[in-house]
Amino acid sequence: MTTMTDAPASTEVRRGRLRLSGVRKVLGGKEVVSAVDLETEPGEFLTLLGPSGCGKTTTLNMIAGHLAADGGLIEVDGRDITTVPPHRRSMGMVFQSYALFPHLTIADNVAFGLRMRKVGAAERRRRVADMLELVGLDGMAGRHPRQLSGGQQQRAALARALVIQPDLLLLDEPFSNLDAQLRVRLRDEVAALQRRIGTTAILVTHDQEEALAVSDRIAVMAGGVIHQLDRPQEIYLRPATDFVAQFIGEVNALDGTALGGGACEIAGRTVAATPAGEPPAKGAAVRVYVRPEVVRVGHDGDGLRGTVRETRFLGSRIRCVVATPAGEVTAALPYDAAVPQEGEEVTCTWRPSDASLAARA
Amino acid sequence: MTRLTRLLGAAFATLVGLFLIAPVAVTVASSLTATSYVTFPPQGLTLRWYGEVLAKPEFLSSFALSAGVALAAAALSAVVGLAGGLAIHRHRFPGRAALEAVLSSAFAVPTIVLGIGLLQWFAQMGLASSPFTLLLAHLVLTVPYAVRLVLAGLSGLDRSAEKAAAGLGAPPFLVFWHVTLPAVRGALIGGAFFAFITSFDDLTVALFVVTTDLQTLPVRIFNYMQYDYDPTVTAIGTLMVLFAVIAVVVIERFVGVAKLFGADTQERS
Ligand SMILES: Nc1ncnc2c1ncn2[C@@H]1O[C@H](COP(=O)(O)OP(=O)(O)O)[C@@H](O)[C@H]1O
Ligand SMILES: [Mg+2]
Repeated sequence: MTTMTDAPASTEVRRGRLRLSGVRKVLGGKEVVSAVDLETEPGEFLTLLGPSGCGKTTTLNMIAGHLAADGGLIEVDGRDITTVPPHRRSMGMVFQSYALFPHLTIADNVAFGLRMRKVGAAERRRRVADMLELVGLDGMAGRHPRQLSGGQQQRAALARALVIQPDLLLLDEPFSNLDAQLRVRLRDEVAALQRRIGTTAILVTHDQEEALAVSDRIAVMAGGVIHQLDRPQEIYLRPATDFVAQFIGEVNALDGTALGGGACEIAGRTVAATPAGEPPAKGAAVRVYVRPEVVRVGHDGDGLRGTVRETRFLGSRIRCVVATPAGEVTAALPYDAAVPQEGEEVTCTWRPSDASLAARA
Repeated sequence: MTRLTRLLGAAFATLVGLFLIAPVAVTVASSLTATSYVTFPPQGLTLRWYGEVLAKPEFLSSFALSAGVALAAAALSAVVGLAGGLAIHRHRFPGRAALEAVLSSAFAVPTIVLGIGLLQWFAQMGLASSPFTLLLAHLVLTVPYAVRLVLAGLSGLDRSAEKAAAGLGAPPFLVFWHVTLPAVRGALIGGAFFAFITSFDDLTVALFVVTTDLQTLPVRIFNYMQYDYDPTVTAIGTLMVLFAVIAVVVIERFVGVAKLFGADTQERS
């Protein structure tokens, strides 16, 4: 089967700088999106990541114009589009439900936006054929949506959205209806295709692994607020808030007192991490976030001392839990690490750049 | 499935078919009798009673009235059904739940009760009997059904498809035309079809609403039969059946009756 990535590259477009400034939305008397600020680079793949109900779809609908913002400014390439109706915004949208037009063939679905733009028949046919080839659906032009599998329908929806060369590609949980294997494959193909075509993409998802895998940057949302907007590695290794730390993967959250800069004292030991934002004042209550993958368990260096409670073989990693005076510290050790025995006295260390430190509420 | 159950099934289907077809067959056959009274099997063979029908202008004008009112009922039911269905599906307004309840219980009201009520109501409003009041009466029967069909069609429509179309550059009218309308197309045709048949077929309500000089075809036949029970009646009956068959064939030709009742047929390309 052809995949999206071995098709010929199309022309590069370098536009689609989206900017939201203080965008708000009240629904049913509740502020579901509060003062959201974000700006994309042209061609960037930006993800809104957060739990269900945090306001991601609402934000996307305001970007697309299906919902009017109750405050703030939405701009694309410097043009204020806050009150522009959806059909004058040039946004390709892809939905969890595929949302193809059931009475039209795949080719006619893809041609829809070109028809609306009054593109001539010959050019329309050519562009539809090119796009179907690009998403690996060349043989399917004459079929109807219900004759296609879920993955094929979503490729068709993607082709329909991209063929108009939109300012923005908006994806609302596009992989959530697919089974696990297909989900991973399609998401990687979409990411690769987006990078080739260069259309700015905004993805909405609640799946943190998906967000980490495809995004240039991730905006982690909760309760209508962006908690952190950064590259995936930053989000993962150096969470800025307790919510970000807990929402994405497993984390060791260790309470201590600031010593100035990135240094802090935890249970009588001095450790270091990277401050998220302004370094907390000396003596302030802080919390250090360390991912299990960056914890090293050994016998020297500055770190937390403790006793190995258990070690467990987990297939890809070896999980080691160390009981320290500051609480349990979990380490996910690679195979080549020296695996300590249960009951052994050890020191847990990490590189300061691999952990973050934030003021504790 | 065993041979026996298949055989029993076939027998049952045949019996049901016979039961449905028999009265029609009897009517058609007796319209050809040479006797001056209705009898089955027919004795002799003549088209004389069809000539009698065509020679009676009051039957022709009744047919025109019935067909005209039925066509208007079909068209208006589709339009009002669409508007009502969209309003109920899309908007939250006071009385919405009550309106839905009324629409779904409208079926339960016996048509004779409806006829009496409408007679009373029209009289009190000072509305003289006219094709218009008759149409109004028939819409009371047909609009609830059309609205329910449209609602069913809309529930199968993905609102995201409308958003996608708008994002691709379709202004609201074209979104409606290209995305919303196709979703309720079957419902509209089905609603119109139902309205036409219901109106064309109605005797009960019409009996209350019409006057002596404004009689629909069923009323005309009903009145005629009270004095002359000759084969003219069966000839008209046969013509009505023929009319319905032609209507179904025409609709089948252009739309497909199966599709109109929601069957998921394979699209021909
Ligand atoms: N039409 C509406 N009226 C009232 N509340 C709404 C409406 N639509 C969404 N909400 C609420 O707004 C919040 C955000 O919804 P949404 O943006 O869809 O969340 P997400 O896409 O992140 O799961 C949710 O709590 C939801 O219940
Ligand atoms: Mg959502």
